[in-house]
Amino acid sequence: MPIVKLQQVTYHYPFTEKPALQDINLEVEEGEFVAVIGPNGAGKSTLCYTLAGFIPHFYKGELKGIVEVDGVLVQDSDLSDWVLKVGLVFQNPFNQISGAKYTVFEEVAFGLENSGVPRSEIIRRVEEVLQMTGIADLADRSPYSLSGGQQQRVALASILVMQPKVLVLDEPTSQMDPIGTREVFGVIRQMAEQGMTVVMAEHKVEWIAQFADRVIALWEGKIYLEGKPHEVLTDERLVEKGFGVSRYTTTARLALPRGLWQKERPLPVTLEEAVAGFSALRNARRKQG
Amino acid sequence: MHERLSFYVKRESALHQLNPLTKLTLVFGLILPAFLVPFYWTPHLLLLLVVFPLAFLGKVQGEYFTAVTKLILPAAGFLFVMQALFIPGGETVLAKLWFLTLTQESLMYAFANAVRIFVMVSSFTLFMLTTHPSELMSDLTQRGLPGQFAYVIIATLQIIPQMQAKASTIIAAQRSRGLDTESSFARRVQALVPLVGPLVFGSLVEVEERAIAIEARGFTSRRPKTSLREIYDRPLDKGLRWLLILIMLASLVSRIWFS
Ligand SMILES: Nc1ncnc2c1ncn2[C@@H]1O[C@H](COP(=O)(O)OP(=O)(O)O)[C@@H](O)[C@H]1O
Ligand SMILES: [Mg+2]
Repeated sequence: MPIVKLQQVTYHYPFTEKPALQDINLEVEEGEFVAVIGPNGAGKSTLCYTLAGFIPHFYKGELKGIVEVDGVLVQDSDLSDWVLKVGLVFQNPFNQISGAKYTVFEEVAFGLENSGVPRSEIIRRVEEVLQMTGIADLADRSPYSLSGGQQQRVALASILVMQPKVLVLDEPTSQMDPIGTREVFGVIRQMAEQGMTVVMAEHKVEWIAQFADRVIALWEGKIYLEGKPHEVLTDERLVEKGFGVSRYTTTARLALPRGLWQKERPLPVTLEEAVAGFSALRNARRKQG
Repeated sequence: MHERLSFYVKRESALHQLNPLTKLTLVFGLILPAFLVPFYWTPHLLLLLVVFPLAFLGKVQGEYFTAVTKLILPAAGFLFVMQALFIPGGETVLAKLWFLTLTQESLMYAFANAVRIFVMVSSFTLFMLTTHPSELMSDLTQRGLPGQFAYVIIATLQIIPQMQAKASTIIAAQRSRGLDTESSFARRVQALVPLVGPLVFGSLVEVEERAIAIEARGFTSRRPKTSLREIYDRPLDKGLRWLLILIMLASLVSRIWFS
């Protein structure tokens, strides 16, 4: 039984002609890690808002089709109940700071205070999550004094601490360096292993290839391609529609007609795969003499 | 950016340990007598015998006296000079300066008023130095203040430094595009007009995003909220609050009685 179910979902923002989402059909299994890619304006954020219930509960406009999580229709649930089930980490970390708290520790605790968790458990869960997201040393800092990447970690921690069944992330590493990105992907993968369902809008295809179970490519509000990360991320059709493509894929694609990439070998997405491919070719040539 | 968003100074002191509501009552328990009791030396005595010792009791005398010299004394001093010179009346003329007359009565009156202001600002300063804003809000929310209300108060307290930071970013950005913010006053006012747009519109967009963001953290949940901070309300606090309420009532009565 899939935990997330979208059927024939079409959504128009108020006063707009063109749908931001069109005929979306999507099922996500419990514990699955799905990545959503797409050029700017493809509808990634809109999809995230829909999953998290902000469409239709906060953004009005016209929502058609079925949005169901854990067997409950979004229209039948209050937003305040829905957010406990589906947690959303937004694109802009600065605007996610509650504005009511003075330290990172308090900021992360905010969601638990609101949902009535006892104090001792709040403290235990916040400490655990701060460790996990690598910001334990920032606990006493003001959330405003942090860098963008650090604020993104705080935003992630603030939602993770609430232990939602479904975790939705909208470009959660956009302001992070490669080390931060790697850590965050690692944490999210770990959550998925523990049974949390993850849907993540993200540009960084090399990381998606390593960590996600499935990739959805959105284009103009529609699902354009869908499948295993490597199949989707190396699909030629992504290039013409302006999707971000890994430079290793591009390199190998250019090398292929020149005989510099083995035909039977799938195109690489990550550096490791590219290196493995090129060394395999060199070794094969050496053998031939 | 702004690491310090509040005046609070973390220390272990008797004043820090008091319940936030007790301290808030104390603020008004000082202000009301200072303004209402008809005995002339009341504010002066309060200042010397209560406010100053309280600063030491709260172990924030350093911060407090810095605030006194930088803010409270200049403000009270200005008020004193203005009132002493410009309040008419009084018989005992001490000095005459062109059209201004300085009388003993207006001098006394101005002095008492300046000390009243001194007491008022001091009480608030001591309150803010020894009370964490989150603690105050948690306490008031637990006493039944609606969460939305508490949020608005505390978010407003934080918005001013944020707005300042944003305004300076926008000014820097506009200036780098050749905006003149440094010449004559009129031109500078003119130059400010294009800054208003981004500041206000940017803030509106942010308000919407922030509203969704706190919603995502279960802010409107109907479950009873809990609090990370443990707030004590000891019998001493309750006793003090009653005493302070009595003092406030007594000042009010004395005012009505003797006038
Ligand atoms: N609040 C809104 N009101 C009207 N149109 C919007 C709003 N937010 C986004 N859109 C439009 O919906 C489409 C999808 O946007 P979005 O989901 O933000 O894309 P992405 O996150 O992939 O960049 C875009 O055409 C965008 O202009
Ligand atoms: Mg987006």
